Amino acid sequence: MSGLTVFLDGKPVTLAELPLKGGGQAAVFPVVGDDGIVVKLYRDPPGPEQERRLTRMLTMSPLAARPTNAFQPPELAWPTALARGARGEFLGYAMRRFGEPAHIQLIGLFTRAQRRKLFPERADWRFLLGVAWNLAFMTARMHHDNLVIGDFSSSNVVVDANGFVTFLDCDSIAFTDPATGELFPCLMHTTDYSPPERQAGGPASRATDDFALAVLVYQLLTAGNHPFGGVPHDSASESTVKDNIAASCSYVVRPERVVIPRGTVDPSVLPPDLLTLARAAFGPGVLAPAARPPAEAWLRALNKERSQVRICAIRPLHAYGSHLTSCPWCTRVATTGHDVFNGPAPLPLPDPPPMEEERPEGRLSPALKVALLVALVVALAVAAKHLGGG
Amino acid sequence: MHSEYPPTLPAEYADIEFENNAQRLPLVLCLDTSSSMAGAPIQTLNNALTEWTRELHDDVSLSYSVEVAVITFGGQGVGAWRGPQLLDPRAPVSPFVPAHLFRPPRLAAAGVTLMTEALELSMHIVAARKAELRASGLQYYRPQICLVTDGLPTDGTGHLTDSWHRLIPVLAEEQRARRFRLYAIGVGGITDMGEQVLQAFAPKFHARLQGFPFRELLQMMSASANAEQKGAGDEVFEKIFSQFKTQRPAWES
Repeated sequence: MSGLTVFLDGKPVTLAELPLKGGGQAAVFPVVGDDGIVVKLYRDPPGPEQERRLTRMLTMSPLAARPTNAFQPPELAWPTALARGARGEFLGYAMRRFGEPAHIQLIGLFTRAQRRKLFPERADWRFLLGVAWNLAFMTARMHHDNLVIGDFSSSNVVVDANGFVTFLDCDSIAFTDPATGELFPCLMHTTDYSPPERQAGGPASRATDDFALAVLVYQLLTAGNHPFGGVPHDSASESTVKDNIAASCSYVVRPERVVIPRGTVDPSVLPPDLLTLARAAFGPGVLAPAARPPAEAWLRALNKERSQVRICAIRPLHAYGSHLTSCPWCTRVATTGHDVFNGPAPLPLPDPPPMEEERPEGRLSPALKVALLVALVVALAVAAKHLGGG
Repeated sequence: MHSEYPPTLPAEYADIEFENNAQRLPLVLCLDTSSSMAGAPIQTLNNALTEWTRELHDDVSLSYSVEVAVITFGGQGVGAWRGPQLLDPRAPVSPFVPAHLFRPPRLAAAGVTLMTEALELSMHIVAARKAELRASGLQYYRPQICLVTDGLPTDGTGHLTDSWHRLIPVLAEEQRARRFRLYAIGVGGITDMGEQVLQAFAPKFHARLQGFPFRELLQMMSASANAEQKGAGDEVFEKIFSQFKTQRPAWES
């Protein structure tokens, strides 16, 4: 069965009858006869602003949207064509397909059951650190291109078997059109990744991205724990991550304020530099956007740690930071009986993807990585000097 | 170690409770299994539950937070199911199952329509689960209860009853306090009177549908759960529900 026909650059394509995924605002359809692309259609007729936004995006070529080589997916599922109806009306847009099973939502790395099912035998702490590095790199590159992610969450970023990440919902990115100066704001957000000023209705900014990045990096490095988890001691009834963010209540900074779930991983698994950044982001940085570490700071600290990861000699899939003298995951097994990375019994696995020995690596050669890092740091220093002198 | 687990938590889920401290989303399916559902309708419901379970397992986001409980009203009374297993009402066992472990019950249709009692049990298990989560330091999104029926509330002897009136102020207060989201869906040959009951229960989120579109109904519950996880505003839930009610997406209009 097939469904609607839409026109991409004037060429008719037929969409599958049922969408891959439908949300409140839009649905994403496979294209009959072309596995390489998908078409996103808006549920309500999109206005002229949305059409201008996508038309402008088609003329832009941000660094992060360009493929580096055949084995590394681009970091952005950038629009490739507008989708129009038979009368030329704007309906949505086409983009490259980043679907399962090769690309899994980041949230799939946050529980042991999902890690074992979706990333069998590979999602250890070193892998998670690599994914965090790739996220920080993506964020830094987008900020460098004056793009604000805006709606940055564990559901709209996908990760592949090598730890490379791709941001999916590019049509919500905030940017200013360099030609006309028109601002295209980000109107979407995910509350569990939104700092208080965004929850209160404020615009997306680099600083709101930096908050979401800090939460995601923290979740990756603790194998899934949200830094604003836990129920405050004084809470009367309902209790959510959103409330804890709004009240600036993180157990990473103020553990005495909440009932912490028993299985929570101690923040000390983060190497000192990374823990310092987390404490800044989840302490003063919650209410003061300027106090949040920028993506470059996360990238530097993650980069430093990547070459120093230790591998446990006792249990498989146990890797940990160089600041620790013994394996924290083995200590946890000894004290609680729970192994964060290895299950009690094998689960039935539905068609596991082909295994590769390759570990997550950055998308660039080490020399280029260092060069880019230096360039970013220099740019940052220049910007800081400029601000300081101005 | 095992003695520390809450008494209502079955042992096979204890390790999962320990390892996943995600914010939870309790979801209750409160389903009519009275005699009028016998035959094709209950078969359609069973098939839809099987399909939905597969989709739930495949949905990386939903299987992270959603917990499913099934309440049925039919036969001699009401029943709570933990996955495929009908619970003994005297056993202090929670019917909520993490989505990735949920397996659907095989439902059979017969008997009376204790709709009022089933909704009361649904509210009770939601409140109990919230208290249990809170005590463990675990957070939760606003729970969802989905009532599905093709009839009118009866008493234990199968006679129509007005006992459902006692629910109206309770449900109004619970929904005002945002303690859960209630969807009340009429299917099959539900009467005008039946629809009025559902409207009284869920003034904004009630519907009367042709036939037995259980697949679409369960997909709507998933879409609503996704919106809840995203922290969407009320208008998004209303939009999802109105699309479901009209059974037609915008691009077809």
